[in-house]
Amino acid sequence: MEADDEFDAARDGSRRTRWRGLVGISVVRLWKRTVRTRSSRVVATVGAVALTIALLVVVTGVALGLAGGGAVDDTDADVQIVPEESGALSAVDGVEGPRLGDANERAESIRSSDDVDHASPVLVEPVKLESAGDDEPKTVLLVGVVPDDEPRTVGGLPTDALEPGDPHYANGSYDGPREGELVLSEAAAERLEAETDDELTVGGSQVPENASAPTVTATAVEEAGDGDDETPVALVHLSELQTLSGADNDQLADQVLIWGDTDAAESAAADEYPDAAIESHDGTDPSALFGDGLAFATSLLAFVVGIAICASFVATTAGMTVTEDRRTLAVLEAVGYPARSRLSIVAVSTLLTTLAGALVGIVLGVGGIYAVNALASATVAPGAVAVVHPILVPYALAVALVSGLVAIPYPLAVAARTSVLEEVGR
Amino acid sequence: MSNHALRQTTASDDDSSTDDVESPTAVRLESVTHEYGANGGRGRSGDDRTVTALRNVSFDVRAGDIVGLEGPSGSGKSTILHAVSGLLVPSDGAVELLDTDLTACSNRERTRLRRRHVGIVFQRFHLLPSLSARANVALPLVQAGIPRAKRRERAETLLEKVGLGDRIHHLPGELSGGERQRVAIARALVTDPDVIVADEPTGELDTATGEDVLDLLMDIGRDRALLVASHDESTLAVADRVVTLRDGRVVSDGG
Repeated sequence: MEADDEFDAARDGSRRTRWRGLVGISVVRLWKRTVRTRSSRVVATVGAVALTIALLVVVTGVALGLAGGGAVDDTDADVQIVPEESGALSAVDGVEGPRLGDANERAESIRSSDDVDHASPVLVEPVKLESAGDDEPKTVLLVGVVPDDEPRTVGGLPTDALEPGDPHYANGSYDGPREGELVLSEAAAERLEAETDDELTVGGSQVPENASAPTVTATAVEEAGDGDDETPVALVHLSELQTLSGADNDQLADQVLIWGDTDAAESAAADEYPDAAIESHDGTDPSALFGDGLAFATSLLAFVVGIAICASFVATTAGMTVTEDRRTLAVLEAVGYPARSRLSIVAVSTLLTTLAGALVGIVLGVGGIYAVNALASATVAPGAVAVVHPILVPYALAVALVSGLVAIPYPLAVAARTSVLEEVGR
Repeated sequence: MSNHALRQTTASDDDSSTDDVESPTAVRLESVTHEYGANGGRGRSGDDRTVTALRNVSFDVRAGDIVGLEGPSGSGKSTILHAVSGLLVPSDGAVELLDTDLTACSNRERTRLRRRHVGIVFQRFHLLPSLSARANVALPLVQAGIPRAKRRERAETLLEKVGLGDRIHHLPGELSGGERQRVAIARALVTDPDVIVADEPTGELDTATGEDVLDLLMDIGRDRALLVASHDESTLAVADRVVTLRDGRVVSDGG
């Protein structure tokens, strides 16, 4: 045993090395117990935390959906340009507000920007329509839009039932072929007593005296995605509505919607409309939670319940683990680990188990949000009711960490009561 | 300073001279009395339900001595080992480890002295089941703040010395009883302690394996103070001196 003489363990190493070693022991023990000795206690703790955190993520996702509007908004555009001092669509019988000029050209320019998927001016006009066999024209809110080949939502209705593009615009000449298509909301279809493929005629004062009344064909009847089942709304191609309403002279629009990367869209919007109001239409802005009472209460409740349940699970299972582990703690004391080091190993093990549970819970929670959305779409809701936002990840980790810290005193108390003589004497 | 300072100062180049020069005292027990039952330790009032484990026990162990502790169950053998390793503070008397009175030390100081100067071998090995043989051996070095590479190198060296060079990654559950006790011996040795205490080191092993482990213990115990508590005659036969205990008293100190 000559080599023993060369070893000097009395000169204690650095504190940092010791701490790294203690954390290393905690990690290796947890890992080996999970993988090689298949400790059901570790799996139980991770599973309990994971389920709690998953529930928290799902409920908070629903709360975010409630607060931000998300997919239950009347549009799924990322950025909205509206004239200054006018942030909303004019009502059916409201006084006409300021409008955006040269909307078609500028939207075209925005559309060509990098990271912008699509841009469309939106013109909203109340128009009288009458269906065949009905003498009384009924007013419907027509929403003019330039659809593309992606499914998008404007005015609560899907644009993909319209032919992509806006051929009647014809680079500003407004003499291209008319598509004559119309996507009716259920309320509009009911008011007009129209069904898919019915022909409708524009009536009232919009039709110039010397022109024949244009007809449009209802290509689809859709449920309004914003949950509004009373306002009769219908989508048409923008230029056709502009021609009809006389907005073609200055290419007027009430707003321009932009889809794509929010920053790029805002930048392009500011270039084209430096004086207009540019609103990010991101429905998942977490700060919106604080402005919505129901959503805030829901998420607060999830937060409190999440921490309480998670901390209870962690405290109970970690306490039971420590009870099982008393011999290990006694051995550590016997080989020269002071109380602080032993308790540190318990604390680090508890927190690591909790964080591992949180990571699994985040994955489960995000999966849960998709499942909730799929379920909601298939049953009661027109679209997604919960949203996934990146902030859910640090939020869930922080909640798990707080739960772990709240829970830690119990396993530490159990560990501190361990008697080395009782354990190693057995 | 090496932990094993006593051995280094006493072991001269000439082996024969070590027999003539008296080794310094590694462990001294002086009038040690201990009662179990109440809160343990000193300064408490008497209690009818207490059990007196040691009564006025005094003896010492010099560096290089192998001292056996014999006696029936409950005679106080384990209590002496626990007191020497600082796991227990006796109710009365003094326990000196390398001239430091453990009864006057704080918990933290006793823990540090134990880590640096005492290696413990338990009857039931007490290895951590979720750590490999190498990690178990290196365990005391983590608290000592030794870097990982040095810890591993040291643990592997010792595992090779106890004949388990090919078992370093095995978990205790994958080792036989004899192999586990060899790992425990390597762990007790890893800080190069001055004193080794072994409580029934062969108690869980069959005769042949027990003899192997005993040989190993004698080999590593050379030049260190080694206290072995045992019921087993063959284990006690290797001791230089056997202290016999009855009801917590020393009835023979083998001198």
